Amino acid sequence: MGVTAAGTSQRSATRSDRSEEFDAVIVGASLAGSAAAVKLGRAGARVALVEQRPDPAAYKQVCSHYVQASAVPTLERLGLLQPALDAGAVRSNLRIWTGFGEIVPPHDRTTPGLNLRRELLDPLLRDAALNTPGVEARLGLTAVALERDGGARVRGVVARDRSGAERLLRARLVVGADGRGSRIAKLAGVATKTTPHGRIAYGGYFEGADLPHAPDAKIWMLDPQWAAAFPTDAGLTFYAAMPTKAWLPRFKRDPEAALVAFLRDLPDPPPIEHGRLVGEIKGKVDMTNVEHEPIAAGLALVGDAALATDPLWGIGCGWALQQAEWLGDAVGDALAAGPRGGRGARRRPRPLPPPLAPRAARPSARDRRSRERPASERRRALRLLRGCPRRPPRGADGRLRLASDQPQPLSRDGRAAGGLRARA
Amino acid sequence: MSAAVAPVTPLAVAGTTTRLRAAGPADSREALVFVHGNPGSADDWGALVAAVGASGRRAVAFDLPDFGEAIAPPGFVHSVDGYARFLAAALDALGIERVHLVLHDFGGPIGLTWLAAHVDQVVSVTLIDTGAMEGYRWHRLARIWRTPVLGELFQAMTTRRGFQLTINRGEPRGLPADFLDTTWSHIDKRTKRAILKLYRATDDPGRGVAELAALLAPRELPALVIWGEHDIYLSSAMADRQRDILPLADVHVLPASGHWPFADAPETVERLLLEHLDGAWPVGAEADAGEAADATTQANAGGAGAGTPSAT
Repeated sequence: MGVTAAGTSQRSATRSDRSEEFDAVIVGASLAGSAAAVKLGRAGARVALVEQRPDPAAYKQVCSHYVQASAVPTLERLGLLQPALDAGAVRSNLRIWTGFGEIVPPHDRTTPGLNLRRELLDPLLRDAALNTPGVEARLGLTAVALERDGGARVRGVVARDRSGAERLLRARLVVGADGRGSRIAKLAGVATKTTPHGRIAYGGYFEGADLPHAPDAKIWMLDPQWAAAFPTDAGLTFYAAMPTKAWLPRFKRDPEAALVAFLRDLPDPPPIEHGRLVGEIKGKVDMTNVEHEPIAAGLALVGDAALATDPLWGIGCGWALQQAEWLGDAVGDALAAGPRGGRGARRRPRPLPPPLAPRAARPSARDRRSRERPASERRRALRLLRGCPRRPPRGADGRLRLASDQPQPLSRDGRAAGGLRARA
Repeated sequence: MSAAVAPVTPLAVAGTTTRLRAAGPADSREALVFVHGNPGSADDWGALVAAVGASGRRAVAFDLPDFGEAIAPPGFVHSVDGYARFLAAALDALGIERVHLVLHDFGGPIGLTWLAAHVDQVVSVTLIDTGAMEGYRWHRLARIWRTPVLGELFQAMTTRRGFQLTINRGEPRGLPADFLDTTWSHIDKRTKRAILKLYRATDDPGRGVAELAALLAPRELPALVIWGEHDIYLSSAMADRQRDILPLADVHVLPASGHWPFADAPETVERLLLEHLDGAWPVGAEADAGEAADATTQANAGGAGAGTPSAT
């Protein structure tokens, strides 16, 4: 059995005995892979969910697991929002400390995100995938090569089990959901862009160090330093710092002392000195940002395998869930219709929210209504922008004053000014 | 955070009168001694002096000659050595023998010069955006000031607004208005001339570091280093380097502070200073945070003279 440099494999008598046929093979059963499996399985496709780790309860170790608000409806559509809440997940808005003042999202107008430790979140997703009819688990298998046809279209994955035996999993679509260092992306040879990351990350779970505004989370944008506190399940708060690499020697010497000192020295510091560390401090020294071309013939990449950006934005989990949903919506019906039905099957793509819709797409009536704001509102927005002081006003203590500290001026028709409200 | 500020009393020293802010037992021979920099004064330290005094320890801060409201005596030499001699005279006048130094900005070279000649009197050292400055390059403003004619011109053009804009440059959160007003109120012609003379007299701020390290490092004094990460005059990369002279230093780089962390992060600086003193100058039984320690136990700390603490 030879493996060429491009990762394609030559057929062998041994492997053809051990080949299976699916509509889709998903490599990686973390958040993106499991969510994609649920979506494709529900659409009626036959899916193989391949995962290196044999333990069905395996979970990602270093993560702040803040699921952004945009992904909470995705969780709900997966049927997992209530189970997550039952497992102890907290609904959490995000406050942001900046040098200009603290950004506090108004509760009556925002949807909170969600926070649940990966220890509970990952099995929740994975179990949902494994219990979806049409999804077959292949745990403990490692992808080692891609199978291509004569036209170089990806047609399957060669996976090796613990005993070293290989098997071929053929599919019309291979989904790489194997994370930042995606092997599928490497095997496929897709275009890759990496950006160095100038920080380290250290974090741990603390009890007894509850934020005064829990369950809302808080991040400190210190430019260049960063710190965060994420209330999560079981009465714990995940505290993390992402300092620049110059801080590595200090954190290496004594991670817990360094993290606690870093947090205590923050402006408007959290009550960490009352906290007790539960478990160990975990650290990550290399977080190179990786972007892969996510689409090739017969191949799609989702989650970190497609795009692994700066972790300090806390978007990784939400991105994985949402992108998996988009993939499922885009190809689920076509895959379920089978090889022959692919071309003729009616495709019902989910309408993307207006900012993401390709320019060529015809906007729906709802999109047109929301885009054409009345001229009066556009003029008001322009006046607001022009009226912004160049130097923000300061209070008696010398600190900058936020506009939200002052009552909103009313417009002539009595409504609050500001045409910049989020679309309902 | 303590809201109190230690009040001002006059202090006669070295042929002039300066303003003193003091708190804690006035007859204690051990004390925290704050040395301000440029363009500082005793007012930089009012809140911290009060906080230390409330913890049962003696603390003092005073205007250096031609800073604050203190007028330099005739013949005063406006150099690091001249100011170090003034510091020695002030400590004599105050009856202080065991010293916990707290130095900021130019107070660093001044205090460390005094230390080099009186090292046996030093119990602990706290450096705030200052210290041994090996290989230091004069920052942009100072380079202007060191050129004779340009320097005088530059100073004369400084208005209140110009001063406040300049001093706030690079400060991540802006300095509090009352700190800016107080600092500006002390800048008169004497102060400006003193600053010019001081910078011109200091050829190489990095001089003598090796000797200082050889003298100080083996003593392993308790030490605290605080530095604003966004300090545009003295890079926070120098903070860790202070371990060259103070190997046991606890180094804290404050991520949202500039050159004056005691002004833009007062609660943090107060907490760090008091925690440092808990180790460097224990005053009997552990006090709860924010409560004064019992003054009668101060005798155990090695300083003579029991007496009720008075936050003067």
